[in-house]
Amino acid sequence: MRRTMLYLPGNNPNMLTRGYLFGSDGLILDLEDAVAMSEKDTARILVQHFLKQGEFGDCEVTVRINGIDTEYWKDDLAAVVPFPALHGIRAPKVDDATTVKIIDEELSIIEDKNGIPVGQTKIFCLLETAKGIWNAYDIASASPRVAAIIPGGEDLTADLKTSRSYEGTELEWARRMMVFAARAAGVDPLDTVFPRVTDDAGLRKEMEFVKQLGFAGKSVIHPNQIPIIHDVFKPTELEITKALKIVEAAKDAARRGQGAVTVDGRMVDIPVVKRAEYTLIRAGLLEVK
Amino acid sequence: MNTAQAGTLESMDCLVTVSQTAPGVGVKIKITGSSAVRFKSAMEKKTAEVIASMGVKDIDVSIQDNGALDIVLGARVEAAVKRMMGGDK
Repeated sequence: MRRTMLYLPGNNPNMLTRGYLFGSDGLILDLEDAVAMSEKDTARILVQHFLKQGEFGDCEVTVRINGIDTEYWKDDLAAVVPFPALHGIRAPKVDDATTVKIIDEELSIIEDKNGIPVGQTKIFCLLETAKGIWNAYDIASASPRVAAIIPGGEDLTADLKTSRSYEGTELEWARRMMVFAARAAGVDPLDTVFPRVTDDAGLRKEMEFVKQLGFAGKSVIHPNQIPIIHDVFKPTELEITKALKIVEAAKDAARRGQGAVTVDGRMVDIPVVKRAEYTLIRAGLLEVK
Repeated sequence: MNTAQAGTLESMDCLVTVSQTAPGVGVKIKITGSSAVRFKSAMEKKTAEVIASMGVKDIDVSIQDNGALDIVLGARVEAAVKRMMGGDK
């Protein structure tokens, strides 16, 4: 599950040490925007030491590298990819499939050099420009490494020559596009951060909206946002009861060699079973396959 | 004399200052700050290990500690030494 992925500034030992304790599904050790230009080297070394020896609990660990238009990105990859604690990298400003392919090739070189199965390191793509959003499906399907696509917030708004509104009107189309592109490519659509860290009601409202659109999770910039997002993703008792009934009926049908069955007067076929299983995963009653 | 720094004085961090010294002077480590009394020997050991692994033999190291874990100390020493040697951007 990727309901919440918490950003941790890459040059902040306090957050890197305690980050996994806040209960997010994933962590993003940030070497990009959270790190001053003068500290890119020290942050990279610090993050590397944490990947080597740090504690991350059950979190999916990713590192946001610097963009491929900077002098840092290859050094970032070389520093973090060799360590088993790393699941993937979050690539900023992905505008097109070519960007993904460039990163993919560099990852393959590093993996091969370090005896890691080529293709193991996932890529989480940040689409922070209008061009990136427009190319969303091409990006999402550019490499089997792509695990998720994420729309930008501030950068995208700036590129659209508008400003960030309370309602998020300017991001609405991009968000819908993300869900369609991601689902079509078989990767996760993950939402951008909610910047107002003390506005719990606003976060809940936005989260309910993006969950309804089909997003699988959200990037998080403050630990206090995690329980609110998890709560929105939590299925209701009624949904859980219904899901348990459906999954049980499907198992029973499989045992009897039948395809579709009926539960409470409704036909249960594979998509319905899949949705029910996803409900149980979110409720913590079923392991992710 | 070539001097470099890495780290901060924020909580759970340390500020490491390193200076290249003349050949034969050896490794000198000075630790001050919140954990200096209780963990001095462990911190000296970690610092010496990192410096040795980087092939540096003559260096002055000054550590102002604010509760840095072993892992952070190691990273900050490595970063400071790399900066001193000019080997990292």
